[in-house]
Amino acid sequence: MTHSNSKKADQPGETPLDTKVLDAIGRALKAHYDDLVKAPLPERFLDLLDSLEIEERKSKGDADAAG
Amino acid sequence: MPPASFKDDLIAEMSSLRAFAVSLCGSASVADDLVQETLLRAWSKWDKFQPGTSLRAWLFTILRNIYYSNCRKSVREVQDSDGAYAQRMVVPGDQESHVDLEDFRKALARLPVEQREVLILVGASGVSYEEAAAICGVEIGTIKSRLSRARSQLVTTLGWSENAQAQLERKIRRAG
Repeated sequence: MTHSNSKKADQPGETPLDTKVLDAIGRALKAHYDDLVKAPLPERFLDLLDSLEIEERKSKGDADAAG
Repeated sequence: MPPASFKDDLIAEMSSLRAFAVSLCGSASVADDLVQETLLRAWSKWDKFQPGTSLRAWLFTILRNIYYSNCRKSVREVQDSDGAYAQRMVVPGDQESHVDLEDFRKALARLPVEQREVLILVGASGVSYEEAAAICGVEIGTIKSRLSRARSQLVTTLGWSENAQAQLERKIRRAG
């Protein structure tokens, strides 16, 4: 497995893609993904984590008080 | 209870998690449910996370498992929107630089999910080959071959290889 690193193509049966084409795919992928990452997050994710934290604190507090 | 930093670490990964979810399932609303369930599961299993390893990779693994076990069938019906999902989520005013991005998204949406997820993981989300292999539960060789097939398929769908070839030939002619 490790010595196949020197070969350019990943698969013997496939035509290796031009470097420019690979770059273009890479750029488009990043642009696509960056748009998704930059999209505003719904409030409910933060609300969920807040409520989980409060719940944990409460149950921990109860346990401490009981113990 | 998870350490206080765990919540902040989860918050820091939420955007990536959602981007991965949307890329995987092709629907913003299904993606949100996936992220929500992933956060819940991550919170309850925080002690299973090995410090020093990638939290992102761990969260992606959880999300992907939930997706494949729960949502795959229902998601497939939504997915036929042909990449329209991503368009809805684009931040306004940030599109001028990528003219061909819509075509690219459509081509991406047509890939089999096994290929698309690898392309997104390795090509965009900053996950290593090793982590991608662990996330998908396959060998690194499989990741590489899926990546290679995904790229070839994209190039075919987009007609990029012919363009590149034609450009190259023009350049050669001009040089001669």
